[in-house]
Amino acid sequence: MTASATHAALPEAPKLDGRALIVMLLLPITAVNLIGFILPVVNLAMISFMEVRSTGAMTGNWSFAKWQLVVTDPFYWELLWNSVRTSLTITLLTLLVSYPVALYLHRSSGMWRSILLVMVISPLLLSAVVRTYGWIAILSDRGLINNGLMALGFDGPLRLMFNLTGVVIGLTEILMPYMILALLAGFGKLDSRVEEAAATLGASPFRVFWRVVLPLSLPGIALGSLLTFVLAVSSFITPKLLGGGRVFLLATEVYDQAIVTLDWPLAATLSIIVLVVFGVALTIYSRVLKSLG
Amino acid sequence: MIHHASTATNIAAPLGNEAKPGHGFLSLQGLSKRYSEFVAVDAVDLDVNQGEFVSLLGPSGCGKTTTLRMIAGLVQASGGRIVVAGRDLTAIPPFRRDMGLVFQSYALFPHMSVAGNIAFGLEMRGLSRSEISNRVTEAIALVRLEGRENRRPSELSGGQQQRVALARALVIRPSILLLDEPLSNLDAKLRDEMRTEIRDIQRRLGTTAIFVTHDQDEALTMSDRVVVMNHGRIEQTGTPEDLYERPRTPFVASFVGRTNRFSGTALGRSVKLGDTLVHSATEANGPADVMIRPHRITISTGSAAASGGQNTLSGIVRRMTYAGNLLQYDVLAGDLTFQVEEATLGSGRALAPGTTVTLSWSAQDTLVFEAKP
Ligand SMILES: Nc1ncnc2c1ncn2[C@@H]1O[C@H](COP(=O)(O)OP(=O)(O)OP(=O)(O)O)[C@@H](O)[C@H]1O
Ligand SMILES: [Mg+2]
Repeated sequence: MTASATHAALPEAPKLDGRALIVMLLLPITAVNLIGFILPVVNLAMISFMEVRSTGAMTGNWSFAKWQLVVTDPFYWELLWNSVRTSLTITLLTLLVSYPVALYLHRSSGMWRSILLVMVISPLLLSAVVRTYGWIAILSDRGLINNGLMALGFDGPLRLMFNLTGVVIGLTEILMPYMILALLAGFGKLDSRVEEAAATLGASPFRVFWRVVLPLSLPGIALGSLLTFVLAVSSFITPKLLGGGRVFLLATEVYDQAIVTLDWPLAATLSIIVLVVFGVALTIYSRVLKSLG
Repeated sequence: MIHHASTATNIAAPLGNEAKPGHGFLSLQGLSKRYSEFVAVDAVDLDVNQGEFVSLLGPSGCGKTTTLRMIAGLVQASGGRIVVAGRDLTAIPPFRRDMGLVFQSYALFPHMSVAGNIAFGLEMRGLSRSEISNRVTEAIALVRLEGRENRRPSELSGGQQQRVALARALVIRPSILLLDEPLSNLDAKLRDEMRTEIRDIQRRLGTTAIFVTHDQDEALTMSDRVVVMNHGRIEQTGTPEDLYERPRTPFVASFVGRTNRFSGTALGRSVKLGDTLVHSATEANGPADVMIRPHRITISTGSAAASGGQNTLSGIVRRMTYAGNLLQYDVLAGDLTFQVEEATLGSGRALAPGTTVTLSWSAQDTLVFEAKP
């Protein structure tokens, strides 16, 4: 009797309500984020509070030493300021050179647009290391530019490498594809009809750009700038190679402390500071988006 | 001299008078647009008086929008001239043409408020703040959008957006108002309302207007004159009555209003349609297209002799459709099927299929077009 009763109830059992389904669908990404992002960050934060010997061996005791050092030593404040300022400069330059390209791409269509898109994306198929060496070949004392300039009778090589100039030039080019793609993604509200409407209402091409095109592309500019800034702050290969050890940025310092000096707690502390910078950038971005409506 | 006197009084003059060729307030002279091999607009000549409301009517792809965009300067003409008030505008860029364009998609500035949208054209003209604010208030009242000045376009209904677009184009007091199917995104009831509203506003301001539509009702009810286009060419230009009563081509006859269409052989003032001979009021000979408007045919149950029309045929009702204001019949008379429309009078007379009936219509309602060889 009891057996047959349970049997009859079975077909209704596997029904899932909407909420359970959502939880199940979100489970994999939650797990990936937890294991791949949250746990490492927590781990990183813990390492930053560990005591370390000069050999790099950790004693297992807790310590505020690295945080104290970072907060009190003006070197690290300068490092932070340097990183932020350089990244902002790179972001601005990338925006200036990418914006016309993105606008042109947005307005082109058909085969031509596909070709242009492939041209924009194709640099991403090469590693940043290779592209940086490309820039070395162009910017070095015996590189393309200096050879050209000297052939024209210019005396002495122009110092384009192993300084901030080289880092800025290299990173600007390397980050351009990201900026262009982000700008394109944010150009959704840009509509040629709206530009035409402005023209028929008496706006010259310059005023159409200033009053219509630019305001409508602000979401794209905000998105592209955020992405480029974050990538600039966290890049270390290009600054290391093109900076030649003379350009000190947060990301290169993290690399040096972790790989060369083997001071993991200091590297972890600096990494957390980089994360805080990202947090601030993200906050500013969402504020800007909100004000754009 | 005489011509100048007449243009000066044009606003007061009865509308619907055709301007002399080449002398309209707006004059299109051999206007053409080619896209590589394809001719989108083919040598269009049109003259529009000041204050006149002219519709461009035609099927999809016939070049209405292209013509309008050439007038606005958004499309470069491949040939011909655009002259407004005696000034050749063909090579002038759109922002110096002083035309108000209402787009089918409205094309409002999404980042500006209703008031900001309307003020834009005035700001471009460098008007003072107080003047701008006065005229914006006036324009908002004109299109009855009071209280919505600070809304964004995305917060408005389709009809309201359409009115903002209209106000934005009108507030600059353009020399010519261009409207590209501005009503096609609205529902039927709102569309009717907006028709009257647009026409009222245009009359009150005395604005010259070119209205693009593919809807023949819209064109007939709103316009002083209608230009029927097909394949980039003008088929016929005339008052709504001209087009409906005196279509010059079979295309116009079938595009403007509904028709029965037959082919037959014209013999002077009559046409042979198969075995049936019908009378017409025009002289024609040889192969011909014949059209008769369904609502010009009277349907009765009396015998053929009792009918007053000059054409009488007897037939059998094959189908009856009730359409509210109309009863639509398919009637088989001999080997021809006629569509007949009769206004419903509320008396409830509807003829059932199978009823024997008499169809009659006057000779002048038989439109005959000699078939082009
Ligand atoms: N940029 C272009 N390149 C090539 N052909 C075009 C272009 N613009 C329009 N055409 C063609 O020109 C013809 C006329 O187009 P137009 O937009 O003027 O038609 P329309 O009468 O406004 O039609 P609809 O009622 O569908 O809006 C169409 O066949 C269209 O395909
Ligand atoms: Mg069109």
